[in-house]
Amino acid sequence: MAEAMRQINPEVVAAFPITPSTQVIEDFAKFVADARVDTELVTVESEHSAMSACIGASLSGARAMTATSSQGLALMWEMLYIASSMRQPIMMTLVNRALAGGINIHCDHGDSMGARDAGWIQIYSENNQEAYDNMVMAPAIAENAGVRLPIMVCQDGFIISHSIETMQIEDDEGVRSFIGERLTEHSLLDTDNPASWGALDLADYYIEHKRAQIDAMANAKTVIQEVSERFNEQFGRKYELFESYRLEDAERVIVAISSVSGEIKQTIDTLREKGEKVGLLKIRVFRPFPYDEIREALKNAGIVAVLDRSASFGAYGPLFGEIRTALADLENPPMTYNRTFGLGGRETFPSDIADIFAESERYLQGGKIEKVSDILNVRGD
Amino acid sequence: MSDNKYKLKDWQDLPKGGVIPEGGNAADYETGTWRTKRPVWKEENCIHCMTCWTFCPEEAYKLRDGETKSGKPRKEIKEVDYYHCKGCGLCAKECPINKKGDKTAIDMHHEET
Repeated sequence: MAEAMRQINPEVVAAFPITPSTQVIEDFAKFVADARVDTELVTVESEHSAMSACIGASLSGARAMTATSSQGLALMWEMLYIASSMRQPIMMTLVNRALAGGINIHCDHGDSMGARDAGWIQIYSENNQEAYDNMVMAPAIAENAGVRLPIMVCQDGFIISHSIETMQIEDDEGVRSFIGERLTEHSLLDTDNPASWGALDLADYYIEHKRAQIDAMANAKTVIQEVSERFNEQFGRKYELFESYRLEDAERVIVAISSVSGEIKQTIDTLREKGEKVGLLKIRVFRPFPYDEIREALKNAGIVAVLDRSASFGAYGPLFGEIRTALADLENPPMTYNRTFGLGGRETFPSDIADIFAESERYLQGGKIEKVSDILNVRGD
Repeated sequence: MSDNKYKLKDWQDLPKGGVIPEGGNAADYETGTWRTKRPVWKEENCIHCMTCWTFCPEEAYKLRDGETKSGKPRKEIKEVDYYHCKGCGLCAKECPINKKGDKTAIDMHHEET
């Protein structure tokens, strides 16, 4: 991620260290110290200040980036909404980590899922290559004139952020020509054309501004596809709104986000050798959520198990809610059920995935979901 | 000020992110509707000391060119701008004529409801 940030060479990075995202900024700070970037690195006193500094920098026309995790994102909360409502294309590396209480440094998606309605584009990455690629695409998506929204590129804490993998880093020139220059309509520093930001916005205009944000997020879906296509043309790696893995003829499907997809793919390959029709739909873009495309991709499935790596207390998991909503308009929607897993870094193994596919087979044969919602690998159940 | 300028715009016609791409347009905002009490300025008792003008948070006291008894040019109070006056009453409270107590130069009247 630090490498992608170096190539983007933003004017401003403002960040406060928090495990496991610290490594990103540590590595980037070395690039600053070695004068390999032109960035002003602002070592702020909190994440609230980090996001505030990014907003101020972005309003002046600068590319601004930050990185955080868990409590850090939580402390940014109110400023996340300011960034998106001011339509500032700020870029964030979010290294997913469980939220306290119960102090925990390991991965789950409670942090980013809580921020899903903050008006930020959310893109999730399965591995380091995807995290890098998604970050290279981030400026082109966020700064598009029809979008102009902040973007968080998410990856799983430790599982991905602290793993060593072989990956392809593109050359600096190629990346810089891909992302181009940021164009701004108004700048805080343009004293010849004064403007005001953050004004009072009451019942006469607030809803119109929110309507424009909704429109920008809808545009983002198209722009993400266009940018991904351009990325494929230039760098030769293909990305879509979600990844379909052996999904074409799959009767039993798992829908999941990020690194657990590795275990799922491995399990699918094993089961496919035995002739079982199983597949994966891996979410890449969670905001904007591609309802229509997912409905089309899952319309022939018999049963869909949705894995949520965060708990919504008193409700089904956030991903499950979206998937069921996407499928609800089908005449004969597949059966669906929800499994919560991996909270606070609890391990998930290929055998757990095989169990889910076996459970799906049982439900499919019996024609009935016995348990709509359950938690994997929890003691006591 | 054409009527068109104050017609509420559709969401497509707004600058992105609620930015206000011009300066000084707070003057266009009618704060007079907030008023429950109305300051009434009495020219016959006013000594044009500018205390009301100094204290007014909305610059609602408008000025004119005048002169002193000895003929020196000076600024004088002209009128209250009720488009902007919020009726806070600071002018009447700070007015030195009002403070002396035998007469008033600014009276606060309830707005008719």
